[in-house]
Formats: sequence, structure tokens, C-alpha cells
Amino acid sequence: MINWKKEKLITVLLLSLLVFAGCSSDSASSEGTGGSGDGDSFTVMANLHSPEVPNDKILEIIEEETDKEIEIQWVPDNNYEDRLNTAFATNSLPEAVFLKNQASFIQFRDAIEDEQFWEVGQYLDEFENLAKLKDTVLDNTRINGNLYTLYQGRPLSSQGLIYRKDWAENLGLEVPTTTDEFMEMARAFTEDDPNQSGEDDTFGLTDRSDLVYGAFKTVASWFGTPNNWGEKDGKLMPEFMFDEYKETLDFFKEMYDNGYINQDFPVTSKTDQQEFFKNGTAGMYVGSMGDVVSLNNDAIAINPDVEFDVQNKIAGPDGEFGVWSIPGYGSLVMFPKSSVETEEELLNILDFFNQMMTPEIANYSYWGIEGEHYEVVDDRALPSDDKALTDREVKPYMAIGIGEPETNGRYESVFNYDAKEKAEELTKENEDYLIEDPTVPLYSKTYVDDGARLQEIITDATYNYIIGQMDEAGFDDAVENWKSQGGDAIIEEFNASE
Amino acid sequence: MKRSETWRKIKRNRLLYLMILPGLLYFLIYKYLPMYGLIISFQDYKPYMGIGGSEWVGFEHFNRLFASSEFWMIFKNTLVLFALQIFVFFPIPIIISLMLNEVRHSFFKRGVQTLIYIPHFMSWVVIVSISYVMLTLDGGIVNAIIESFGFQKINFLLNDDWFRPMYILQVIWREAGWGTIIFLAAITAVDPQLYEAARMDGANRFRQMWHITLPAIRNVIIVLLILKIGDVLELGFEHVYLLLNSSNRNVAEIFDTYVYVAGLQQGQFSYSTAVGFFKGAVGLVMVVFANWLAKRFNEEGIY
Repeated sequence: MINWKKEKLITVLLLSLLVFAGCSSDSASSEGTGGSGDGDSFTVMANLHSPEVPNDKILEIIEEETDKEIEIQWVPDNNYEDRLNTAFATNSLPEAVFLKNQASFIQFRDAIEDEQFWEVGQYLDEFENLAKLKDTVLDNTRINGNLYTLYQGRPLSSQGLIYRKDWAENLGLEVPTTTDEFMEMARAFTEDDPNQSGEDDTFGLTDRSDLVYGAFKTVASWFGTPNNWGEKDGKLMPEFMFDEYKETLDFFKEMYDNGYINQDFPVTSKTDQQEFFKNGTAGMYVGSMGDVVSLNNDAIAINPDVEFDVQNKIAGPDGEFGVWSIPGYGSLVMFPKSSVETEEELLNILDFFNQMMTPEIANYSYWGIEGEHYEVVDDRALPSDDKALTDREVKPYMAIGIGEPETNGRYESVFNYDAKEKAEELTKENEDYLIEDPTVPLYSKTYVDDGARLQEIITDATYNYIIGQMDEAGFDDAVENWKSQGGDAIIEEFNASE
Repeated sequence: MKRSETWRKIKRNRLLYLMILPGLLYFLIYKYLPMYGLIISFQDYKPYMGIGGSEWVGFEHFNRLFASSEFWMIFKNTLVLFALQIFVFFPIPIIISLMLNEVRHSFFKRGVQTLIYIPHFMSWVVIVSISYVMLTLDGGIVNAIIESFGFQKINFLLNDDWFRPMYILQVIWREAGWGTIIFLAAITAVDPQLYEAARMDGANRFRQMWHITLPAIRNVIIVLLILKIGDVLELGFEHVYLLLNSSNRNVAEIFDTYVYVAGLQQGQFSYSTAVGFFKGAVGLVMVVFANWLAKRFNEEGIY
């Protein structure tokens, strides 16, 4: 009798424990698991830029070709940083971890210096394809001369203007080649009824809550603003201490005050920003010129008469043209020692990435299956018209590729769309006018610790100046505030490490 | 009480104790065990060194918090939103319950009830997005109406003045209906004879409400108020975070959003834990104080 009661108690206890164990193991597995051993089967954490996780079709081919078993943890782009930090804090990073961008690389610097990730520079020469990775880009990712990452190549600068060619023709406007003409186009697209509807239903530039990949930084580089940091009186200084930055502020303020730009741009999402452009409300878009394809696809579905064109060389008041550049990589992959436990395992994983850099597999991961997702035309790839199909089956896998066409031999692209062809050309042309970030190879401890927090002060001030909630004195105060809270130390440290 | 006696009591009511076990386990596992992690607020925590291996830094992170210019701003913002929750939001479900209680038409009453508690099931993302679409300067309907009456457009989203009204109105819209459920339940438990007696004494509907309904649900109100105060600093991180932008940060940045950005987006684990710790301490003081206050007024507290 008593025993039976005891048993009941134990059963309930066990049951409730099971329930909890179930909950916690669920959450643990979604956070990622540690290493599994041999490196022939491993997990990759990658950035998902599309709304949905792709199906396994391409992954299965890659697994078969490389003879590895791979699990991909897809993390949506907009909370990639949180997940990265959470996985890191709970020691549950998988074997191969892609970083989001340059900023997250800077954040991990301390951990890298503490030898938490494998140094891979020493093994590169053992792998035929990894050895091809460009030294110029690798140098941008070295820490104290060591290499801990493999990079995913990106064009140095694909920034430019996409605009409504048909509107410009309606109004007899030439393509802008200076910032003044850019302003004139924004004015005309706002005030001169470019869509000939007889209504006041259009504006010039559509922008979003992003000062870097939105319009601001690109326009700033047209004005000749340095890329994050620049030299002034023989000293490295942050961009916002330069007159050109202020000129850009005034330029945007003028557009804002006159209604040439969406009035809520500091809180506009990328989706909404593009929607204004696609549905014919706005006529100018500053960002990655390559986006013209997807913008066009959606826009002609709404209005078949839409015509887009791209433009890059827009000169500042001094007649010079410049455009900011990235350090040649979009993302980087690292290998935590907590999950990759042996050198053998690491070599196996590097072998996988080495194989990812063979033309055949690079094409699978970037273009998909020939005849199904793309055609080969003159030795280049022409993606299928069925954009929904490629988005669903191929596009996300671009996030696990490394290198670039020159090094991994994947097909360059060909497009049956003129504006896209032009965008590709202009992207190459941009390489002659690059404004580079001089601090990429430098190191500042304060910047690593507090840079992101301090940047917020400047970002807020920039928006508030443009929308008229802050005057020049207020902006200068914000800069002083930045300096006093650690900015001075960052300036010192960067200059000392030159 | 002697130990043996305690055990005897427990033994005698073991099934009852068994019933609280899951709840107890829940609190142990999810509320008490994680407190171990508060240790890292006194360390320079490095995840790969673990709590055992990280360096101790004493109160450095707390000093940094109290010294930072943002601290008072965040503290003030948190308290202001809390005050709005207590003084503006809290009475509303009670008022609605009293009003609904006066409605004799049960079909209408149930309809209204259902209608007002539906928003509780929408996520903040949806609610904030709807507000955004309505209030934006770029074709939002509210500004279109304001303009059609010949007034200037109002910049609702990008300024300090509108954040707080927007915040509390959204809270009311989402939670007021849900809040009525418990009060209505308490009201139905009031003995109808009391009302009859009051009517005999010539009390009108309003007097009945004032002298019978309200005193009858006073206990429920007080307990809920104390619980609410206990959540002093749980203002709904998600909601505020979604409304936060460059132009309203001076009034919208609260502890929760600050911890999230510093901790998870910028990887300052120790510092953000220290901020969270401080927040928890403030919350604890508030609950104890509220409970003490309730006892002073001879009401039942929560413990």
C-alpha cells in the first residue's frame, strides 16, 4: 500500500521531470548543438536572407558531391546578431559559424585573440582551392597576422542610384551626374508630376532606417566623406568630424524639408522602402545597384510600363566622384574550438569548404541545377525566369559559399535585362573610385568594446538633424558626447596602431 | 512547530503537496536556478572561460551603469511608463467591468466583452505595425484626415511628445478587455441579496455600485494592484522595443531595451546582467513596499 503510494509519487516526479527535460532539450536543440566528432558530418550556422528556409534539394547534391553530411542552422537575417551572441554565450556554437558582417567580426575580436577559434592560415596551402583566396581580402581579415576566417567575396562597391527612366523621359531630365542634378531630379519627381497623373502623388528618393546600406552613406561618399574614418591634419578622425559629413546632413535635410524623401524614413523598413519604389510612389532608390532585378520583377507586375535604369558616377560639389567600399568580403566563416575539437576534424571541415570552391559545387550552391534553375549562355549563367523557384530552392545557399567567381570558378552572371547588365558593369567601374576604410587593418580596444554603443549617439544625432529635431549645435554636442564617452580613446588608439 | 510534526502534516496532505510540486519545480528551474547567472555581473565574463574561470571585477559594471549619462534617463523613463501603467491603465478594466455589469442585455454584454478582449491575442508586432501604417506621415490615414481638416500633419512616430500617449493607448487597446475578465468574475460572486437590501433602502444604480460592488471587489483590486507593482519594471520589452527609434529614445529607452541592445546585440554580457540585476532589485523593493502599504491599510496583502 505504502509502496504503491511511493511509486505514484515517483511516477509523478519522473513525469514532470520528463516534461521539463522535453522543454529544455527542445530549446537546446534549436539553439544549436556542440561538436559531433569527425568533421565528416557537421553543422553550419548561416544567415537566411529570404523569408523561408529552402528545401533540401541542393543541399543533398552538395552532400553527395562533397561526401559530407551537413546540417544547416538557418537564422533569419534580422536577429542574426542576437543568435550569434546567444549561441556564443551558451557555448553552443556549431562547427562552422558564418558571421553577419564586418561589425560582428570586430565584436568577436577579443574571443579570437583568446584563441577560441582555429587559426586556419597555416592550413590554407594544403588545399588547392582555398589557397586561391585573394591575399588582399585575407589581409583585411587577419588579426595580429593570423587568419581565423574564410571569406565570402563581395564586389567592393555595388552602390549607386536606381531611378525611373520613364519618369525622367516624361520630364525631359538627363541622368544625374552631380549631387545638384540629383537634388533637381528629386525635386522634379516630387513636384512636376512625373507619372502624369495630374495628382500630387509622387516623391523623389525612397530611403529606410539604415544609414549605411540605405542612401545616406553612399550619398555621403559622393560628397567625398571618408569611409568611417579619414585623415585630417595628419590624424585619423571619424567621418562625422568632417565637413563633407555635414554637407551630406544639410543635403538630406533639404530633401526632407521639401518632401523629396519619405518623411518617416528613420523608421521605414526595407520592405516598405522598396514598396514605394515598386508601386510608383517614389522614383529614386540609392543602394545596391544589383537590386534592380528584383525591384523590376515586382514593379512590372504592378505596372508593365515601368522602366528602371542605374547610375553610379555622381560627383560632389568639388567635381570629384567617390564611392565607399567594403573590405572585399560580405561574410566570414569561423571554426570554434569548442565544437571543432581536433585538428583532424578541422581539416575535414576545411576540405568541405575547399570543395565548395570547385566550379562545379560553387555553381550548385550559387546558381542551382543547370537546366532547372539556370541556363549557360556564352559560358555564363542565366538564371531561370521562375524567380519564386530559385528563391525557394537556391538563393539561401549562396550564404554558405566562399570566395568569388575569380577564385572559385563559378559562372559569372548574364542577365536578359539591360539595367542589370549595366549594374554589373558599373559595379566594376566603381572599383576605380573607391573610398576605403583606413581602420580595417587597425585595432582599438575601446572601439571593440564600446564602438557599437557609441555609434548609436551619432546615428541618433544624424537622423534628428535631418528631420529638424536638432540643430547644428545639437549635433556638435552629440559629437562631443561621443568623444567624452570613449570616442577620444578610440581616436588615440587607432592613431597609435597605425 | 517541531520538525516531526511538520513532516506528519506533509505526510497527511501528501496529495496536496504533490499538486504544488510541478509549480514548485517550475519556479526552481526557471526562476531560481538562473539566478546563479547573476554572478557574472561581478565578473568580466567570457563565455568560453565559464563562470568559474572569468575574472572578478567587483562592482565595476554597476559603477559604470550609475556613472553613465544614460542611467537617469533610463530610470526616469522606466518609472514614467510604470506610472502610466498604474494610474492610467490600471483603473480602466475596473471601470469597464463596472459599466458592463450594469448592462442588463446579456447578448450585448457578451458581445462587447468578446470584442474588447480579442486584441489581447494579437502580438505587439501586429499592433505596432497597424499603428505605424495608420500614423505614418507617408500616406497614413490619420494624417490624411488631419490634413483634410486643414491642420498641419503631426509627426507621431518621430518625436518625444507622442511616444508616451501612443504607448499607453496601445496598452489600453490590447489589454483593457482582457483585464476585465477577472473583475467581472469577482463581481458575479457578489451576493444579490445585498443589492436587494440596498434597493429597499432607496439606493439608485450608481449608489449600489459605489456601496456594494466596489467594496466587494476591493480585495481583488488590491491584490492585482500589488502584483502589477511587482511587475514594475516589466513594461513589455517587445512593445517598447518596437516603438523605439532615434527620435524618441530620450523618453522610450527603458531598462529592458537597454539590456537587450547592450547584452545581445553588442555582446556585453556582464554589463547587461548588472543592469538587469539592478532592475530586479528595484522591482523587489517596490513589491515589498506595496505589500507593506496594503497591510498598513488593513487589507490583505499577497503574503
